[in-house]
Amino acid sequence: MRKRKLILILLLLSFIFLTFTACSGQGPSDVTQIGNQSEGYRLETLKLAGGTDWGMPNPYLHDPRGPGTAKMKLVFDSLLEADPSGDIPWLAKEWSIEGNTYTFIINEKAKFHDGERVSTEDIAFTIDYYKKYPPVTNYLASAQGNIVKDYEIIDDTTIKITVYEPLANTLVQLGSFAVLPKHIWEKVEDPYTFTGPEALIGSGPYRFGAYDSATGSYEFIAFEDYYGPKPVTARLLFVPVSHPVLAFENGEIDLADVPADLLDKYRSDPSVGILGKDNDFGYKMLINMERHPVFKDVELRKAIYHALDREGIVEKVFRGEGSVASAGYVPVTSLFYNERVEKYDYNPSLAAGLLKDKKISVSLLTGNSGNDVKVAELIKINLEEAGVKVNVVAVDSKVRDEKIFAGEYDFALVGNGGWGRLPDYLRTMYSSKSKFTGTNPHYMGPLGYDNAKITGLAERQLRELDFNKRKELLEELQYEISKEVPIIVIANQTSYVMFRKDYYDGWVKTYDYQQFEQNRLSYVEK
Amino acid sequence: MIKEIKVYLFILLALALIFTYGYLFYPHSPVKPTGLSLERPSAVHVLGTDDLGMDIFAQISRGFYISMFIGLSTAGLACSAGGILGIASGFRGGKTDGVIGFFINLFLSVPQLPIMIVIGAFFGQSIWNVIVIISLFSWASIAKIVRAKTLQIKSKDYIKIAQSYGASFFYILTNHLIREISPLLLVNTLAVIGKAIVQEASLAFLGLSDPVSKTWGLMINKAVNFPGIYFTHYWLWWLLPPLVCLMLTTYCLRMISREIENTITK
Repeated sequence: MRKRKLILILLLLSFIFLTFTACSGQGPSDVTQIGNQSEGYRLETLKLAGGTDWGMPNPYLHDPRGPGTAKMKLVFDSLLEADPSGDIPWLAKEWSIEGNTYTFIINEKAKFHDGERVSTEDIAFTIDYYKKYPPVTNYLASAQGNIVKDYEIIDDTTIKITVYEPLANTLVQLGSFAVLPKHIWEKVEDPYTFTGPEALIGSGPYRFGAYDSATGSYEFIAFEDYYGPKPVTARLLFVPVSHPVLAFENGEIDLADVPADLLDKYRSDPSVGILGKDNDFGYKMLINMERHPVFKDVELRKAIYHALDREGIVEKVFRGEGSVASAGYVPVTSLFYNERVEKYDYNPSLAAGLLKDKKISVSLLTGNSGNDVKVAELIKINLEEAGVKVNVVAVDSKVRDEKIFAGEYDFALVGNGGWGRLPDYLRTMYSSKSKFTGTNPHYMGPLGYDNAKITGLAERQLRELDFNKRKELLEELQYEISKEVPIIVIANQTSYVMFRKDYYDGWVKTYDYQQFEQNRLSYVEK
Repeated sequence: MIKEIKVYLFILLALALIFTYGYLFYPHSPVKPTGLSLERPSAVHVLGTDDLGMDIFAQISRGFYISMFIGLSTAGLACSAGGILGIASGFRGGKTDGVIGFFINLFLSVPQLPIMIVIGAFFGQSIWNVIVIISLFSWASIAKIVRAKTLQIKSKDYIKIAQSYGASFFYILTNHLIREISPLLLVNTLAVIGKAIVQEASLAFLGLSDPVSKTWGLMINKAVNFPGIYFTHYWLWWLLPPLVCLMLTTYCLRMISREIENTITK
C-alpha cells in the first residue's frame, strides 16, 4: 500500500515537472536555441511591440508596408544605408559615379548567414533575378521596366552597374535593393512560394530566429560574423501586447508609442526618453474618378476640402498633436514644403452650395485599426452636412490595401507613415508616367485623373541632379497639386515613442525616414 | 416571486424611460460632435463626451434602443424558428425529426463565437447581419426544448383521444400545444434577448458591427482602444456607463426569465 502511494506521488511529481517544462517551451524566444550568444552584445534582449503579421521577412514574402520591409532589412542587407545626414557605406564600402555608371566596392568580409561569402556575383545575380521575379518592394523598377541597363563584374568585390538614365534617386535605388545569396536562389524557380529555412538567409546584422504569423511574433538573432557595425542585442523580439503603454510600464517591451494624453506624464519622468516624429504620419482620401466622373470637376474637389473640418480632426483624433495637411501634400514641417500652396479653409456653406444639388452618394473605404474609423466618421459627418451621402466601409487594413490596388472603391481613406521622406513619392502618386505598380497605397494616386503639367514637373524633378533646382521643382509641383487637388489630403499627425534611457537609447532616424523602430541603424552600434 | 419580477421590470422600465428621454428630448445628437473632446460630466453633457466630442448619454440612449431592437428581433426570429421546428420535429417524428434533430445538434455543437466572427467578417458590417447571425445560433436550443415538450404532450391521453376523434394538427396546435409551450417560449425569448444584446456587444467589440453605429459594444470597444485610457480619468465617464448599462439590462432580463421559469416549474 505504501509502495503504491510512493509510486503515485512520483507519477504526480513527474507529471507536474513535464507540464512546466512543456509550457516553458512555447514562446517564440525558445523556438531557436542561441546558447551563449548574448555574451559580447550590449543587450541580451530588446523587445518591441509585435502583434501584427507583417509577413515573412524575406524580399518576396514581407508585407509592403514599413514594418514589414524593416523586418526584412534586418535579415537582408543592401549596398547602402542612410543615417541622419545622408547615404552611408553598408555592404558597399565605397562607391563612385561616372555618367551612367555606378561602381560599388563591397566589403570583402561580408558573409551570408550560412557562412558563404558575399561576392559581386550575388549582386549581379540579384539584379537579374529581380528583373525576372520582381520582389515586394522593387527598388530597381522604373516606368520603362528596370533602371539597370547592364553590369560588369570587375572582380570579387567590384561591380560596375550601368543605368539607362542617371536620375536624382538612382544611387538610393541601387543602394536599397536586398541582396540575395546566389547559391540558394539560383535553384529557386518560384520565389513567391519558396518558404524553406534557406529563404531566410541573408547577410544582414540579424539572423532570422522565429516567426509566428498568428500572433505577429518575430525573433531575430545577432549575426556573430557580421562584417558591419555590431548588433546591439543578442536577441531582438517583437512580442504581441494588448496594451503597449501597460506593457512598457511592466517592462514587457522597451519601446512604445506615447499617447498624446500621456506626454506630460512621461516628459516629467527623467528615466524615460521621448522622441517625436514630426508630421510623419498622415491621412489622405483617394477619389476614384473612374467610378465618379463628376469629381473630374476641380471645383467639386475643392468643395470637398471646404466641407471638411480638418482642424477638428487634428484636435479630436490626434489630440492636437499634428497639423492640417498641405493641399500640396508635402507636410508643413518638411524641408521641401512650399508655403505658397493654395489653402482651403473649412467653409461648409460654400461646400454645400457646390455639392448639395449633385446628389452624390459614395462609399468611404477605410481600415479598421488605429484612428481610421474615427477619421472616416468625422469625414462622413462633414460630407453629409454638405449634401454628399457617405457609407463608411471599415475592413482590415490589408483588405483595404488590396481593394485600393484593385480600384474597388469610391473614396478611400489611407493612413500611413513616411510623409517626411524626400518627396519623390509625389511622382508615383500624381504623374501619369510613373504610376506606382506595387501594392502599398501610400504611393498610389487617384484613379481616372491625368494632368500634363503635374506629370511634367513630377518627372523633371527626378532628372534634376542639382539639389536646389530640384527643390524648386518640387515646390512648383506642390503648388500645381494644390490648385488641382486630385487627392484630398486630410491631416498629419506627430507621434511619439518612449524608451528607458538607462536600458537602450540608440534609436536613430535617417535624413529620409523618421520611424526610429523601422531603421536598421537603430539596432546596431553607432 | 411576482414581486421580484416586478422589481426587475421596474428597473428595465426606468432605464427605458431615461433612455427615451435621452433619445427623443435630450438636446445633443448621438452621431455628431456637440462638445469638446473628452469633456467631464457636467450640466450640459450629463455623462461627458467622448474623444470626438460626441455626447456619451445621447450615445448610450441610442445604444439602448439599438440593443433592444437587436435583442427583440433576434428573439423573434430565433423563437419563431425554434418553436416551429421544435413542434414539427416532436409532433411529426420520423424523417422530419431526424433532419431537424441533426441540425439542432449541429448548431448546438459548433463553437458559436468563432463561427459568428467568421460569418460576420464574411457578410460585412451591418446590424441586420448581426441579427441574422445571432438568430442562427439561438434557435437550436429553443427547438430542442420545444421538441422535448411536444413529445411529452403528444404522448398524453387527451391528445391521443383528440386524434382518435379526428382532430387535425392545426386543432391540436392551437388548442393544446401553443397553450402549453408558450410559457416555455416566453422564458426563452427573454433569455435570447439578453444573450443577443451581449453577443451583439461582443461582435461590435471585435469590430464586426456597423463601425459608425452607436451600440454599447462599439462604445466599449472605442473606449478600451483609446490609447492610455487607464492612465487617465476618461474611462470613468466613457467606459463605465455603457458597461454598467449593458450589465444591468442583461442582468434584469436574465433574472426576469429565471423567475418566470421558477413560477412555471413550481
